[in-house]
Amino acid sequence: MVVAAALVVVLPLVRMARTAWIEGSGQFGDVISRPGLGTTVTHSILLAVAVTVLSVPGGALLAIALRRPDVPGRRLLRLCVLLPVLVPDFVLAYSWLRSYGRAGFTDDLLGVTWDGIQGPVGVTVVVAVNAVPLAYVVTAVGLATRDEPALERAARVAGANAFTVLRTITLPLMGPALAAAAILVFVLTLGTFAIPQVMGAPAGFATVTTRIYANLSRSSDPAAFVEAIMLALLLVVIAIMVVAPADQLLGPRLRATRSAATDPAPTVGATARSGRWISTTITGYLLLTVGLPLVALVATAMTRAVGLSPTPSNWTLDNFRAVITIRNQEALGRSILLALAAASILVVLGACVAALERTRFGRGTGTLVMLTFVLPGSTLAVGLLITYGRWLSDTALIILLAYLAKLWAVAHRPISGAVDRLPPDELSASRVSGASLVVALRTVVLRPLAPALVAAWLVCFLTALHEVTMSSLLYGPGNETFAVVVLNSAELGQVGRTAALSVLMTLLILVPAGLCWLVIRRLDLRRAMTRGVVDD
Amino acid sequence: MTDALELRGLSVSYDGTTALSDVHLTVASGEMVALLGPSGSGKSTLLHTVAGFHAPRAGEVWLGGQRIAGPEGGEPPERRGVAMVFQNYALWPHLTALDTVAYPARRRGLRRSAARAEAMAILERLQVAHLAHRRPSELSGGEQQRVGLGRALARRAALYLFDEPTAHLDTHVRGVFLEELLTRRRESGSAAVYATHDAEEALGVADRVALLAAGRVVQVGTPEEVYRRPVDLWAARLTGPASVLTGPAGEVLVRPEWARIGGDRSAGIADVWFRGPHSDYLLDTPGGRLLVREPGSPRHRAGDSVTWTLLESWALHGDVTSGQRSSSPAGPE
Repeated sequence: MVVAAALVVVLPLVRMARTAWIEGSGQFGDVISRPGLGTTVTHSILLAVAVTVLSVPGGALLAIALRRPDVPGRRLLRLCVLLPVLVPDFVLAYSWLRSYGRAGFTDDLLGVTWDGIQGPVGVTVVVAVNAVPLAYVVTAVGLATRDEPALERAARVAGANAFTVLRTITLPLMGPALAAAAILVFVLTLGTFAIPQVMGAPAGFATVTTRIYANLSRSSDPAAFVEAIMLALLLVVIAIMVVAPADQLLGPRLRATRSAATDPAPTVGATARSGRWISTTITGYLLLTVGLPLVALVATAMTRAVGLSPTPSNWTLDNFRAVITIRNQEALGRSILLALAAASILVVLGACVAALERTRFGRGTGTLVMLTFVLPGSTLAVGLLITYGRWLSDTALIILLAYLAKLWAVAHRPISGAVDRLPPDELSASRVSGASLVVALRTVVLRPLAPALVAAWLVCFLTALHEVTMSSLLYGPGNETFAVVVLNSAELGQVGRTAALSVLMTLLILVPAGLCWLVIRRLDLRRAMTRGVVDD
Repeated sequence: MTDALELRGLSVSYDGTTALSDVHLTVASGEMVALLGPSGSGKSTLLHTVAGFHAPRAGEVWLGGQRIAGPEGGEPPERRGVAMVFQNYALWPHLTALDTVAYPARRRGLRRSAARAEAMAILERLQVAHLAHRRPSELSGGEQQRVGLGRALARRAALYLFDEPTAHLDTHVRGVFLEELLTRRRESGSAAVYATHDAEEALGVADRVALLAAGRVVQVGTPEEVYRRPVDLWAARLTGPASVLTGPAGEVLVRPEWARIGGDRSAGIADVWFRGPHSDYLLDTPGGRLLVREPGSPRHRAGDSVTWTLLESWALHGDVTSGQRSSSPAGPE
């Protein structure tokens, strides 16, 4: 386990530092003085700050609002708010351009365009929309791990009204979860690539990640290569500077021991009107941020040419026909195979770490794996490239390696969480009933873990499927992934074809996501039924 | 004088199940009523409905002569002026004991310093002033529940709701805490509803006891009444150990202390249990098995033949078996 982590994460980082040291010592002055470098770093940091400030309060509001049982359609809304993260980020970015940009959907129908969408403001808004689901999930989990309903009821009966309860009880208790969400969003935004690339790069707005991409893919200048390595290392330094103190401060408080995923009961005096109002607002937000852009995307894909209004007389399937080439089909197959392989290996790796971190020997492995998650994809890709590029650069194996390194924590987290929630006595009870350790694991541990294992597999599969930051740096001739195909098509400016590819990409994500969600719910439901619900 | 609490035909249901149906109950001013019932009988639901966390499906809740809830809705909890002590303490993890007890006073509009002074006085009265600056995670169960009690006292309510406040406490802490609770409640002069599944606790603390079964009130009376004249066998078994003997006049209920070893009737001893202050004997009598309680250590052994006397009995209304409700066939303990 430790060896695997060393091979995919530590060794590349060391190699990068060494290369930067050796190559950079002579050219350091050249690299530092390259035009636009400082601006790029500033852009990245400002973007991360702005996105954090926008998306964390947004996610927290959603978490609080969707906890209320009197919100109509709450169950569906809870799923739908995750849509912006399920839709691949470059598809989201592209669909926003098609929806609100010049010659886009609102332009065709209403004559309304938003000129700032290509540039810093547009990038910030779309990255924030993309980050809100993450902030929502982290804060919602934080809320659910405490016995909130009883604490809030105690405050109500002590004389506090609903707003005072929010101010004096709910928000203070959310503190650690909010901080965790902020750190996560900040670090992930630092490493975000596709949205700035699609929306910012054409307008000359560059971030560290897009500059690394430009350096590696377009330039043959050796100084550009050294600069890419240095920028990649800089990303890690910033990420660690943010994460390390936070983990020290929050680590113990974030580890929840109790899980009481109960909703507050409806309190008398809450009006039905406010519930409907919340429901309407969230629906409106989702329509504007995901619904309309996706409709615009489909409309673009189905319309004969840019500039024609998306009416039935202009509908065509030509764009779809044009993108179903043998090369694209191969890329699609490669993407699916890579994602299947990555997800299956990752679930095993994640489970191994979850088991290992509970032994005396491997206590630190969980933290180590967590670090790989905050490692920006661009950095990992550059590191892998200079470490293994010599042997693997012409195969998709190097992409698989990158997925494994990047998503290890994604697989580890839900599995570890589920292991934490296992009642410790259940394993003991099985052992004293005569089961060997292996039999006990198989009969009483594996079954309750099943939803977490399926969820971990699903998240890895979907993330790998639409991963583009690393893939776009690591692919070689003839082994691009489907996501890279979409990105390249967008860069070539083929509007209709890119839209068609994006629609296919989105379906590719949403269909398996929907199916697997049904499976998980089934597993969870059966468990809930066997557990029985006791409420006095 | 108006009643502190009156429930008129209260029915509550949530998640599609009926938790309370047609409950009538009054709590006079300054009176303490115990709600006794097995878990799932609706005790918590009743308290939470009075506090304002559930809305009635039918019926009304009246507090101090004012109608505060009905099928159309009702006042929110903070405007009902009731105080509550929770089974799982429900202390806020981010507040110290002092700020927790000061919370209700702050909500009354007191300044922070005044609210803290008041809270400190309450903590002193509860003899936990030295814990004022600790958070719940640094307190034992008994200490946590004292802080919970302090918070309820700070509310200065006309009605206290106690939701199994001793359920999570160790036996030795329990008695001390309960005594404290009763003393403070008496001092405050407020009415109270005390939910518990422990018969001894219910009979010991309350002016009157209401027996709750599957969301219905089965019997209401003084502790003496519900213990000596239970309405049916289920109520009898809920309120303490009881034997049923078949005699010429039908079936009668006999509490363990209503019979004595020695006398003119004969029986065989089926079993004997030493219980510390007293001993329990299970007698095989012609009318059925009878549990008899005698002070001191066992003086007979299983298999011995003894004589006995019946001091008191209570004729059960109607057929015994039909009066028997679902759970808890409390045999000889």
